[in-house]
Amino acid sequence: MDETGPGGTVPPAAIDTAEPPAMIKADLLAGLFFIVLSVATLVASWNMDRLTARRINPLTVPGLVPGILSAALLVCGLILAIRSVRTSAPGGWHDLRQAIVSTAAQRAGAVLLLTLAYALVLVGLLPFWLATGLFVFVFIMVFETWLAAPRQPLLQTMPWAFGLAVATATLVTLVFERLFLVRLP
Amino acid sequence: MFDGLGLLATGIGHFLTPLSLFNIVWATLLGIVIGALPGLTATMGVALLVTLTYKMDPDQAILCLMCIYSGAIYGGSRTAILLAIPGTPASAATTLDGHPLALQGKAGLAMGLATTSSALGTIIGIVALALIAPMLGEAALRFGTYEFFWLALFGVVISGQLTAMDDPLKGYIAGILGLLVAMVGMESLHAYQRFTFGMPALGGGIDLIPAMVGAFGFAEILAVMKRSAQARIVSSSDRVVPRLGEVLRYWKTILRSGLIGTFVGIVPGVGEDVGAWASYAAAKRSSKEAKLFGRGSQEGLIAAETGNSAVVPGAMIPTLTLALPGSAAAAVLIAAMFIHGIRPGPLLMTESPETLYQIVAILLFSTLAILVFGLTLTKPLLKVLAVPRERLMAVVYVLCVVGSFAITQRLFDVYVMVGFGIIGFILREMKYPMAPLVLGIILGDLLDLNLRRGLLLTNGDPSPFFTRPISAVICGIIVVTIMMSIPAVSKRVRAVFNRTKAAQS
Repeated sequence: MDETGPGGTVPPAAIDTAEPPAMIKADLLAGLFFIVLSVATLVASWNMDRLTARRINPLTVPGLVPGILSAALLVCGLILAIRSVRTSAPGGWHDLRQAIVSTAAQRAGAVLLLTLAYALVLVGLLPFWLATGLFVFVFIMVFETWLAAPRQPLLQTMPWAFGLAVATATLVTLVFERLFLVRLP
Repeated sequence: MFDGLGLLATGIGHFLTPLSLFNIVWATLLGIVIGALPGLTATMGVALLVTLTYKMDPDQAILCLMCIYSGAIYGGSRTAILLAIPGTPASAATTLDGHPLALQGKAGLAMGLATTSSALGTIIGIVALALIAPMLGEAALRFGTYEFFWLALFGVVISGQLTAMDDPLKGYIAGILGLLVAMVGMESLHAYQRFTFGMPALGGGIDLIPAMVGAFGFAEILAVMKRSAQARIVSSSDRVVPRLGEVLRYWKTILRSGLIGTFVGIVPGVGEDVGAWASYAAAKRSSKEAKLFGRGSQEGLIAAETGNSAVVPGAMIPTLTLALPGSAAAAVLIAAMFIHGIRPGPLLMTESPETLYQIVAILLFSTLAILVFGLTLTKPLLKVLAVPRERLMAVVYVLCVVGSFAITQRLFDVYVMVGFGIIGFILREMKYPMAPLVLGIILGDLLDLNLRRGLLLTNGDPSPFFTRPISAVICGIIVVTIMMSIPAVSKRVRAVFNRTKAAQS
């Protein structure tokens, strides 16, 4: 399933052939998103301060280039959306849903959860070395025991995860704080 | 000409110190390892290393970054041959013939050929860099505001077109998104803050390094961890050092691929992967053994590896003379050069002509190091490939976070990295190329400033943008490129060409 969906890798032979149905539907969603985004930036560029009080040349207003770019994005978004609507994609929505709930997407979701928790919550809340150690340990444990295809025994992974966590936390903290004089968060 | 040779000799002599040689050795080796590890790309390696070289002298920092860059482009071939996974996108074409060779028990030969052809490709590129860059630098001195506006636009358009061959629309969208990102922050003509939403951190705009670390580092981690299957290493213990005849038999292919790679490198924002595919396709078209391509053809492997390696020096030509990055990794190099006070662009050849020849010297040294390491360190590199990605990726992510934090020491850059990582991952899953996006971020300011400055100089008259000769030519190329990417137009043009051909014969 996810061999052809956006959640999976496309085999080299499939590149030359037509787009998979799920991708066509995904393009439609992306096209709509770009239309909304470009309209929003277009409005913002139009309403941007024209600096009339400073009597600048009206063709050099700050909103000129963002406005042109938004218009270009609007055109591209429209072409993308219209092209996707006009291409027949039997079972596209179904495939797309499948790709979103596929194992691959779940794995990506798990990575996202762990990495965001580390970068947005733990760093800044805990001392840097502790946050880093915790992240490395949990990341390795999760992906080598719970989410691995042949699961590795807990006792075999734990020493590795712990060792790497300690090593990474110590080395990164020492190198950046002592050698590069960076004040880590 | 002789001035150039003298400067080149000085450049080589400049790096013949113990410290420089030490830096060349570790940086090239690290580059090869980064390239060989699937999920670590050249761009990511260079972006992460910018932080580590922050405190070095400018010449040593650029030396390390360049060595990592060319080492990584070569290192990817190892994984392509032994694991059938390209270590970096640059080695995707290498996989086609490299892995079948390994399956036939000729892994050693494949690795040896990849190493020598990489070195030869880089040397062809280096010669072009030393010859073309000074001339282009000279010509670029005549470029004004109008030309630079078109060059910036040309870079984004051509990169969008060539990095998304089967769907240029997605390439253009990626480019426009990059340009829009560059609009955030203070603009340089009237010092007005755009799209900052009242956030002081956005006032200076979005920094390239955290954005690149996100789009090439974090996004790559997500893409690698998504796959559940692990690849199996296929190796054999045959001879690694190739015979001279085995390489020289294909001298035409090597020369052709080297030139194609260099040319692809010169085209802004079009990188090693396109260089490899283009030279592979050209070799297949003119080869006597075209049938063997994809089944373990030595010629195919040589074409791909020569092609991708020649891009590295080729990419430095526009990077140094026009400040137009020739590839994604070159975009990071530009950012790094600015951090170290080196200003690439038309004035580089007058302000500090030695920089160009130092870079030529660096590339020569790193090629030598690649040749030595590639032919001798077969076994240790095999061990590198066996590192489980779960363990590796956790550490790499920590480096992504610290790397984006360390340069300006604010957490905002970490959030930028995370944001670009997620957006980059989604875009990549939907087959949007990353290079035009990055090029857009770096060229957005150039495009914006030069368009409005040009209009200011002429008091609102846009005609010089179209009437000055160089401007008109670049503008014409852009229009043709965009028109040809519209299927209806390109189909008709091709039909007309075919008809004239048929009428002639």
